[in-house]
Amino acid sequence: MNDYITIALTKGRLANRTMELLGKAGYYCEEMNEKGSRKLIFTNEEQKLRFFLAKGPDVPTYVEYGAADIGVVGSDIILEENRRVYEVLDLGFGKCRMCVCGPEKARELLQHHEMIRVTTKYPNIAREYFFNRKHQTVDIIKLNGSVELGPIVDLGDVIVDIVETGSTLKENGLMVLEEVCGISARMIVNQVSMQMKTRRVREIIRNVRDCLE
Amino acid sequence: MNHSNRKAQDLLHTPEGVRDSYGRENTAKQQTINKIMEQIRLYGYKDLQTPSFEYFDVFSNEIGTTPSRELFKFFDKEGDTLVLRPDFTPAVARCVAKYFMEEKEPLRFCYQGSTFSNTTNLQGRRKETTQMGAELMNDGGPQADGEMISMLIECLLAAGLSEFQISVGNVEYFKGLCEHLSMDGETEMMLRDEISGKNYFAAEDLLKSEGYDRSQRDLFLQIRDFMETPAELEAALMTAPNERAKKAMQRLIDVWNVVDAYGFSEYISFDLSLLSKYHYYTGIIFKGFTYGTGEPIASGGRYDQLLGYFGKKAPAIGCMIPIDPLMEAMERQHLIDVQEPEIHKIYYHEGNYAAALKEARMSRLAGFRTVLLPGTGIGS
Repeated sequence: MNDYITIALTKGRLANRTMELLGKAGYYCEEMNEKGSRKLIFTNEEQKLRFFLAKGPDVPTYVEYGAADIGVVGSDIILEENRRVYEVLDLGFGKCRMCVCGPEKARELLQHHEMIRVTTKYPNIAREYFFNRKHQTVDIIKLNGSVELGPIVDLGDVIVDIVETGSTLKENGLMVLEEVCGISARMIVNQVSMQMKTRRVREIIRNVRDCLE
Repeated sequence: MNHSNRKAQDLLHTPEGVRDSYGRENTAKQQTINKIMEQIRLYGYKDLQTPSFEYFDVFSNEIGTTPSRELFKFFDKEGDTLVLRPDFTPAVARCVAKYFMEEKEPLRFCYQGSTFSNTTNLQGRRKETTQMGAELMNDGGPQADGEMISMLIECLLAAGLSEFQISVGNVEYFKGLCEHLSMDGETEMMLRDEISGKNYFAAEDLLKSEGYDRSQRDLFLQIRDFMETPAELEAALMTAPNERAKKAMQRLIDVWNVVDAYGFSEYISFDLSLLSKYHYYTGIIFKGFTYGTGEPIASGGRYDQLLGYFGKKAPAIGCMIPIDPLMEAMERQHLIDVQEPEIHKIYYHEGNYAAALKEARMSRLAGFRTVLLPGTGIGS
């Protein structure tokens, strides 16, 4: 398997955008376009490339352990998972913002160092933001989806979540109160692959980078 | 299942991050440790043992080892904070400073044992790992650097590995660049994190926000290029912006020459962005990589200031091999070929115990692993 470069993609829109970009850089995989295929792993024998799709939070895990040499994943996941991988390129798409959101009345709660409750899918990012940047003590409650419910049903005061258009927030009477950081898709590389497959990995990075400029 | 049985079942678990090692796996691990330690001893290194725990200050922030919150800490009866060692080097440095304070001749020590770090749960990382390593103190020359790297290569070869790379860098080069741009300490630390994570666009953003212009930023971005030949190193030497960075490049060339004289230059490549999370490293720094594991299988570097913290001014360099990722990599590369040693069985019954015992002792004298078992050996 050492002849192949294995690339882990984040299932969904990000994967399509990534394949488009890789296509521009001269890398492709016909097998992935086959409709109705139940394959889990797709190979391009000619270019010695393998691709597979994974859930976002698992992509850095596959890359850290070397199950994939390269991965493409949102920077929110990289920050949250804190895996030992090299983050080599900002791909510029999948852009959104990590924000603290809540009802207007919650704005006041962020001004002082008082204790508040935060519901989020990203406990590590939330902790880092409130503890180290705002120096505010918070209770973090981890939820696995529809985090917006938190303030509505009084589970928490504010949420920390990704905001793309803000329409879900608006429909539920919430708004962006503070921005934590910008998010975009990143290319990550396994530490060992970077050293052992230096030429091929760096060639891919270079070719993709050239398409970005 | 009755109550006492269930209680016994609960007792069988080990805490997360630690594990038992037995059977073929353990045999392979012990054999590999022996092969590597023998190789190190062939270079004249003497075994050294330091305690499993020390005072907190030996591993504190100032020394620059593992972050405090990843240390296993506890208290003694006097209320002093004690720490399970996360890393051998500061402990060995303390020990050598204590017992060899006046010694000026080079000192060579090797060690093996467990290290502990209190990392996050559920990330599949071990909290107790076995490490082997060597430290060469009172020798600041490139020959010492070259010896350490070559010995490490020979250890990995002795373990049975053949496809691996040692990436070599020099912390001084990065520091030289920072000095050239008169960078403040905080920015330097942030930049160090980004560059060691190969996150060059974040590094560039940081430099931009600090007001550095394009040519200044490019100085840092250049260090992402890997180098393999002395010619490439010479070229980098020519473009180094100041004396400190030039010296750092020259040192890498000198080290390449030493490793080449050992005949191992094919195993090394140069990576100027290599920086360690251990901030005590001051010069040459290296990491070993192979297929089959996501972690480095070796690391090390020069730490000329560390002994100074313990009152002994002396240069030093060391290397370390974490056995667990090495075994994992060798397993995945199908390089592990051990049979558990054969054990002779001698059976006794009430009437012949004395004779059976005599036979067993003869067998052990002859060097065979022998057990005495009750019964006849038939039907078992």
